[in-house]
Amino acid sequence: MNTILFGILTILSLFVFMNLGKIKASKKQMDRDDRINWGRKRKPNVRQNRDGSKIIEGSAEEVNDEAKK
Amino acid sequence: MSKHSALNTFGRSGNPAFTRNFENTETYAQSERMTLDGAVNKTAILLALCFAGAFAGWNVPALAMPGFIIGTVLAFVTIFRSPAKAGSTAPFYAAFEGMALGGITVFAEMQYPGIGIQAIGLTFGILASLLFCYKSGIIKPTENFRLMIFSATMGIALLYLVSFIMSFFGSGIGFIHSNGLFGIGFSLFVVGIAALNLVLDFDFIEEGAEQGLPKYMEWYGAFSLMVTLVWLYIEILRLLMKLRSR
Repeated sequence: MNTILFGILTILSLFVFMNLGKIKASKKQMDRDDRINWGRKRKPNVRQNRDGSKIIEGSAEEVNDEAKK
Repeated sequence: MSKHSALNTFGRSGNPAFTRNFENTETYAQSERMTLDGAVNKTAILLALCFAGAFAGWNVPALAMPGFIIGTVLAFVTIFRSPAKAGSTAPFYAAFEGMALGGITVFAEMQYPGIGIQAIGLTFGILASLLFCYKSGIIKPTENFRLMIFSATMGIALLYLVSFIMSFFGSGIGFIHSNGLFGIGFSLFVVGIAALNLVLDFDFIEEGAEQGLPKYMEWYGAFSLMVTLVWLYIEILRLLMKLRSR
């Protein structure tokens, strides 16, 4: 009985895996902002100043007043 | 450029195996891209090879130790070599690891008859139910989720390593192997973490197919799923043995 029950569970599960695995995940799963980033290149986080100039996070450089003169 | 040099080098993932694979996907033709069908079919091939290896290990239990050692070496080779070559090592990994599992299952069966099929049934049952939960969006893997699972997995690996080293000096971490409440609780926790690693594998395969990664990544995705399944099977077998020995 033990063998039959768990044997059926194994076959059924493999059948589910073979069929369900080939179907694309639901929109609820795919269309999320908090998905794992598996090494994708992220778009730089761009913010705007009050005067309209843009700040790109991580690429700001130090302003040297001496150099301007 | 990020101010964190590690992020510049490895990207968001700490795993070096996953960082170099999601670039230049536009350069691959449609037929050369990773698909869900391909990944599932390749997982089926690896499972078939694992079962064939297990059949050999079942009949010749002495193959268990060499199978385990060669399988582990092949796993590390597949992880740290270029993913493009996963197709040449992953089938051998599955076959050798199958030998090890076949041998281990024989020893377990000798002590507790019927335990092998229970462990196999539960392993595939968990695989199917978690796949359903993932596909339907019931379980949503996020960066925090991955960090949690990755930390727990590393913690368990470290604990096993320390226990292994201590065993050479005649001692060990007792509760890991005990059949008391603490030992069973620990085994349940490890089974849970191993099972949740499956969700990360599903997400990796799903995103790989969505991003149109090269075809060879199907082998890599199938391999990562296989590694998790092998671990899950061993942990379920250990848990059942602890429960039956009470």
